[in-house]
This record gives sequence, C-alpha cells and structure tokens, in this order.
Amino acid sequence: MFDYQFFLEVLIGGLLSGVMYSLVAIGFVLIYKTSGVLNFAQGAMLLFAALTFVSLVERGAPFVAALAATLVIMIALGIATERLVLRPLVNQPPITLFMATLGLSYVIEGAAQLLWGTQVHGLDIGISDTPFEASGVLISRFDLFAAAVAGSLVALFALFFRYTRTGLSFRAVADDQFAALAVGLRLPRVWAAVWTVAGIVALVGGLLWGARLGVQFSLSLVVLKALPVLVLGGFDSITGAIIGGLLVGAIEKLAEVYVGPSFGGGIEAWAAYVAALALLLIRPSGLFGQKLVERV
Amino acid sequence: MPVLTPAKSSWFSGETLWIVLVIVAAYGIVPLAGSDYLLDAVLTPFLALSLAAVGLNVLTGYAGQVSLGSAAFLAVGAYAAYNLHLRVPALPLLIDLVLAGGVAAAIGIVFGLPSLRLRGFYLAVSTLAAQFFVQWALTKFSWFSNDNPSGVIDAPVLSIAGSAFTSAAERYVFSLTIVVVLTLLTLRLLRSQSGRNFIAVRDHEIAAKVIGVPLLRTKLLAFAISSFLIGVAGVLWAFAYLRTVEPAGFNLDRSFQILFIIIIGGLASLRGSFIGAAFIVVFPLLLSRVGAALLGSVFDSGVLEMSQRIVIGALIIVFLIAEPRGLIALWDRAFAAVRPAKRPA
Amino acid sequence: MTAIATGAGAFRLEEIPPRRYADTSAGRRQGALEGDAERTVRPVRPALGLSNISLTFGGVAALREVDLEVAQGEILAVIGPNGAGKSSLLNIVTGLYRPDRGEVWFGEHSFREVPTSKLAALGVARTFQNLALFKGLSVFDNVLMGLAHRVRTGLLRQIVGSPLARRIEAENRAAAEDVIGFLHLTEVRDRLAGTLPYGVQKRVELARALVARPKLLLLDEPFAGVTLTEKRELSQHVRNARDSFGATIVLIEHDIGIVMGLSDRVAVLDYGRKIADGTPDQVSADRAVIDAYLGVTHEDETELAI
Repeated sequence: MFDYQFFLEVLIGGLLSGVMYSLVAIGFVLIYKTSGVLNFAQGAMLLFAALTFVSLVERGAPFVAALAATLVIMIALGIATERLVLRPLVNQPPITLFMATLGLSYVIEGAAQLLWGTQVHGLDIGISDTPFEASGVLISRFDLFAAAVAGSLVALFALFFRYTRTGLSFRAVADDQFAALAVGLRLPRVWAAVWTVAGIVALVGGLLWGARLGVQFSLSLVVLKALPVLVLGGFDSITGAIIGGLLVGAIEKLAEVYVGPSFGGGIEAWAAYVAALALLLIRPSGLFGQKLVERV
Repeated sequence: MPVLTPAKSSWFSGETLWIVLVIVAAYGIVPLAGSDYLLDAVLTPFLALSLAAVGLNVLTGYAGQVSLGSAAFLAVGAYAAYNLHLRVPALPLLIDLVLAGGVAAAIGIVFGLPSLRLRGFYLAVSTLAAQFFVQWALTKFSWFSNDNPSGVIDAPVLSIAGSAFTSAAERYVFSLTIVVVLTLLTLRLLRSQSGRNFIAVRDHEIAAKVIGVPLLRTKLLAFAISSFLIGVAGVLWAFAYLRTVEPAGFNLDRSFQILFIIIIGGLASLRGSFIGAAFIVVFPLLLSRVGAALLGSVFDSGVLEMSQRIVIGALIIVFLIAEPRGLIALWDRAFAAVRPAKRPA
Repeated sequence: MTAIATGAGAFRLEEIPPRRYADTSAGRRQGALEGDAERTVRPVRPALGLSNISLTFGGVAALREVDLEVAQGEILAVIGPNGAGKSSLLNIVTGLYRPDRGEVWFGEHSFREVPTSKLAALGVARTFQNLALFKGLSVFDNVLMGLAHRVRTGLLRQIVGSPLARRIEAENRAAAEDVIGFLHLTEVRDRLAGTLPYGVQKRVELARALVARPKLLLLDEPFAGVTLTEKRELSQHVRNARDSFGATIVLIEHDIGIVMGLSDRVAVLDYGRKIADGTPDQVSADRAVIDAYLGVTHEDETELAI
C-alpha cells in the first residue's frame, strides 16, 4: 500500500527545507545576474555571518546590537569583495572569476575561524523545532518559520527592484551591461548595492542555517547544496532559484526515503546533483535560465 | 581561460638537456642526500601531487574543461589498485597500476560525457557530482575496502618482480620513476595533434569544430587521460606515501588543492604543475616554522590551518589578478632576466 | 602567379578548373533565378547552392527565402547593410545555425542542416567576422590546425610516433610552412596568435583556412580592420586561392572598392532578402541596391575597426 499521508509529509518536509536552499541560491543569482560571477564564497559568507553573530551574542552583545553589527560587517565584506577581488578581474572569463571566488571562500573561512575559533556554537533564534499537526501531516515549526522568512525576503527584494532607483538600475544592468553603461548608470555603484544585498542574504541564511545545523565550519558547505539548485533553476533567474530550491528539497527527501534504501541510504549527498545533471542534458540552461544564441 | 603559456616550444636541445639534468638530479642526488623525513613527508607526496596536477592540467589547463572532482579520481585509482591487488593476486603491481589508471579513466569518461553540452561552471558543477558520488560509493559499499570495519585499509607493499620498495628512499624512487615516465608521455601527447586539438577546443570551440576537430572525442580523451594520470597519482598517494587508504582523505578539499596547484603553478604548463605542487607541499611547512618562530605557542595547529587557508586563498586571488600564468611565468621571467641572450621574447 | 614560385607542394597551376566564362551556351536551362540571365552561366553543379533559406530568431526574420548559387571557381561577394543577414547566411552554410526552411547544397550533397563537424572533410573552410584564432597556440600551430581533420591516427600512434603518424605530421607541417611563407607570416611563425596585432591575426586566420586547400572558402569580412595596403595584398591572396587551386569563394565584405575589383559576382542582401545578384557593374547600377546600400555612405565602416 502506498502511504499517501507519509508521502505528503516527506514532500512537505522536503519543500520546506528546499526554501532554505532557495535562500542561499538567491544570493548567487543576484550576483550572477549583475556581474556574471558565480560566487562560490556565498557559503563562506554565510558561515562568517553566523559565526560573527553568535560570537557577539556569546560575548554579551544584545540580540539587536549583534544583528546590526553583523549586518554592517557583512556589507563591508561584500563591498570589499567587489572592490578588491572582482573589480580587478573585470572582463575576465567567467570561470576565472569563479576560481577567484573559490580562493575568496578559503580566505573568508579561514578568517572567520581564526577570529572566532573553530568550536561549534549553538544558535537559538527563539523558534522551537517541534512539529505540529495539520490535517494529519506533521510539519516542523522551524521549517515553516524559515520558509516564511525566506518568502518575505524574496517579496521585499521584488518590491525593492520594482520601486527603487537602485533596483531599477540593477535590473537594467542585469539585462544589458553595455546598454546600462551607455545610458550613464554607474556600474560600480550597482555592484556595491548588489554585494550589499548578497551580504544581507548571507546573514539571514547564516542565521537560519546556523540555528538548524549549529554554527560551525560545515555551514559553508551549504554552498554545495545550492549549486544543484542553481543548475536546475538557471543561474540567472530568481524564480528559478526558488523553484529549483523547492525541487531539490523535495527530490532529496523523496529520493532518500523511497529510492535510498535500495542503495543503502545516504544518497542525499548526490541525488540532487544527479537530478540536476539529468535536467542539464535536456535543457543546458536550466528550467528558467536564458537561452543565448551564440554569436560568431 | 586566460591566455596561457604555449603548449609548444621548439624542441631545442637546451630543453632536453634541462629535463635530463632534473631527472638525473632527482635520481642521483636526492636519495643520497635526503633524510627520511624529507623523502617521506615532502618528496613522495610532492611527486604524487605533481602527477595529479599534471593530470588536471591536461583537462583544465590545456583542454579548458574545469573539474572540481579530481580527488574522486585519486580515490578511484587507489581503491582500484587495492582491490586488484587483493582479488587478483597473480597480477604484477605495475599491471595493477596501469589497470587502476584505466578504471579511473573509464569513470572519467562517464563523468566527462556531459562536457559535450555543458560549459564553464555548469560543467564544473557536474564534476562535483563525481566527487560526491564516488566518495559516497566508497564509504557506503564496504566491499571496496574489503569489509574492513573502520573503512581504513592498509596498502600493500610495493614490489616489482620480487624486489620490494619499502624504505623511504625506495618508495621515492618508485614514485619518481612512474611520474617521470608518465610526464614524458604526457609531454609527447601534448605536442601531437591531439594536444593541439585540446588547446583549440579550449580557445575557440566553434572554430575547432568547423575545422574538423572531433569535439566529443577530444573532450573525452582529455577526461580519460586526465583521470588516468590522476588515478595513478592516487595509487602513489595511497601506496607510496600514506600506505593506508580511506575515503575521507579524498574529499572536496583535496580536489580544490589540486586545482590550486595548477592555478598557482601555471595553467597549461607541465613545469607549472611541478612548481605548484612543490609550493603546496612546502608552504605549510614553512608557514609553521615561520609562525612558530614569530608567534611562539599562539601559533598552534588550529591557527596554522586557518592562516594556511587564508594565505592559499589570497594567493589564488592574487595570481588570478596579477599573473594568471602562475609561478612558472615568474620563474621564466626571472630566468630570462639572468640570461637575456638565451631566450627570445 | 606568385604561388608557383614557392616550390614543392605549393599551389600548382594544373589544378585550375575551367573558368565559368569558358562556357557560354550550356548553363541556361535552370532558368534565370537571379536578376540577370545574360552572363550568369552555370556549370552543371554549383559548388554551393542555397535554396529557399529562411531563418528567424525569436520571431524576427534574419533571412527570408534566400536562393543563391555559386559556380565552381567563382568569387561571390555578399554585401548588404549591417543586420542584413550576411553572417547568418555563412553560419547556415557552416551548420552553426539551423534554417527554419530550405536546403544547402555542396556539389551534389544536400543538407537540411549542415553537419559542422564534416565540413572540413567536405572541403569547406571559413573565417570568422570576429577573430576566431586559438590564442594559446603559435601562429604555426594555428595554421597546422587547419589540417586537423587529416590526422586520422590514433592516440597511441601519435604518442609513440608510428611511421604513418610521422608521415602525416611531416606532410601537414610542410603544407603549413608553405602557406606561412606565402602569406608572409614567417617572422611571427612562433609567436602566440593572441599576442599579434589585429591585421596579422586576420591574415593568420586566412592562412588557417587556406592550408587545407578548400574547395569552398567562406570569408566573413576578411579585410575588416586592416590597412589599405594589406587589403590589396590579402585580396590578391584570395584571388590566388581561386586561380591556383580552384577554390570557390564566398566573401562578405563592406569595402565596396575591394568587392568590385575582386569578385566575379555580387549578391546583395537587405533585411534578410536577396535584392540583387549579378556582376559588380550590374549590381552597382541597380536602383534597389543603391537605395538600400550603396547610396548610404559607409555608416557601418566605423564599427568595423576592431
């Protein structure tokens, strides 16, 4: 007998944890769209944010003050990255930029742990991880909260990009860098704004993921979960990042529960990659990515 | 890819002379002068990493296909050799070694198949699948480690035709021989039409296709050769250096380490692979000495590891910005400055 | 011609096919597709034929129902304003774009979609509008790459250097040396292609296309961005390719002076349609052409410089 309720529970659990992936993936997409960089350091930034926040709280800083200080630090980090790493590499091939962010992730991870130490910190953001029941299906309170936070963040960005000047110039740059340059938009300013936003996303993601996994080095590996999300959704689509995240969440959990046992379990580590690869072979630019005609 | 150093330089006698000199020095001087520590902790891992870097350079530096899954192929090589030795004891070690490379090459071809449709970091992401899948499979199926409960297995003693390579110097000489032979063969390959095809595919895939370069065949060949070399490097790493094998030693960090070797040493340069590997091996040792001397007890192993990460990461960025052709370009420039008459611009 | 002097293995005169002018009576039966029938006399099989080619990009028509035939040994120039579909035409001929409708003919072979990987074997070579050299290879190796399709030996033979592999390599090297001498590239022979000035790179690309002695040579703006002197010289080389080994040549070019002097026939594209096709004299007298293109002073010239 197919246990429909159990299936639903796994599916919902998967979708909710998928939202957390989406959250990380959005940080990638923002930067990729505006500057063509696949920022591998996003995971390290997440770790840095969470570790800084936790360490400040542990040293007696009030919650809000710690949050504000971390935010400032993250924004500074984002802007410094843009200035020191990416601007000197402007016009380099994307893969060079990618390798630079790989190097950057090492620097940030090293710095984070050198500053704050390597021990595991607990992070309590006041949401208990107890499940509640909704029409017979168990749902994690924490997952729901995380989904709500991620959802409102996305909504906030949508408003920002629609109604503010910076948001508009962001979209212009994303559409066509040269045209944006031609009409007098200052790219560095837009990039700084984007990296600021990426810093904020890293902070929110870091807190949620930190609360879930504990704040430790492995937090930066969240980036590896986000990559198949990006492949599925396309590197340049925010919608894609959200749907890709949900898909990866669902695929991982369903595969682990229904397919995993016949492989001896633990296939979560690569199930999403296999799904992403399979999709890539059919649609090389992902579900929502722009298909470009190669000009020769 | 940035504009890279040429694969080809004229086959002038000076170059051959250099190669011979380096090989003679590596065989003759080092086993006599080197201490066991130097051989065991520095030179043998250096050789294994160099070979892995040569392998990755074929794929990434020359053929332009970025891979983040090198450690997977190290692991495949090591485990394949272990199992061949265990299950087919009749086979001589050298055959095991070649077959292990072959197994790695076969798996490399499978994970290289997407390269026909995927480019840049889409491909890089797909090579991560190799990394995770292989590591998972080796951990999950205890058959690979002969049902050893700890998952850690002891590598067999290296022996060829009855003579065993057990001492540090002997294991070094064994590794050196393998690395020299394979590197010279790779050099030949890169200077043949196949090698030119690699660079053509890297520099302008469409033009290469129009000219009649078989894209799929060329890319798969690059994956196969690269995985073969990395697989054999894995055997050296496990059998000659660590003398144990466990999946955790072949994690993503190891993959990145090999990528860093070729970025720092020099993309599309075999000499760069060796200089890069030397740097990656020697640098932590230097850093720990210097750190301990300057900071004393504050500089513990944790601090060492973190500062190592920071410096390596920063170096990657600095090289990509300031000298995309890596240490080897600096080396050549220094060389040219000393003997300006010898080398044309 | 100059080619003969370069000696062993270079371009030989006896390979010149009969010029199309030689035949004045045979070719009319296909009917006059083009603007003028009087002098457009075709051999039985055109070296290149396009029939009813249409191509759209996301609803925008790049080419509409284009018919074109290029006779053996003919030099055809395709001209037209920017965005008229000239490069798209070459990309269809080389299989980089797939037309929505229509067929491409090479001699007696017809294709709905041209197999790009088989072009070299079919005797087709091309250059690109934007440089498409292999930047990390030397000039010599770039030219040598033009013969890549001839290397049929396996990997092992190449590494070991079997007699066959060596012979092929030696032949290819000799051919590459010839072309390099012929195009005055000897001085930069060992330089990395990516480090050379634009004009020289254009020349290297021409050398790479010529080295295989293609039956059909497609040149996408081969003279753009080079000096006037170089233009004259390069166009002489293009003519030599036809005269010495009978290549059929299709070139896209903006410099009307060069086009008129070099080509046997000119086809004019405008908004994806072929609006004229005839001798340089006929085309330059054509009202529609003057309106669409020639009357407009060289507005696109400026964008072409590098």
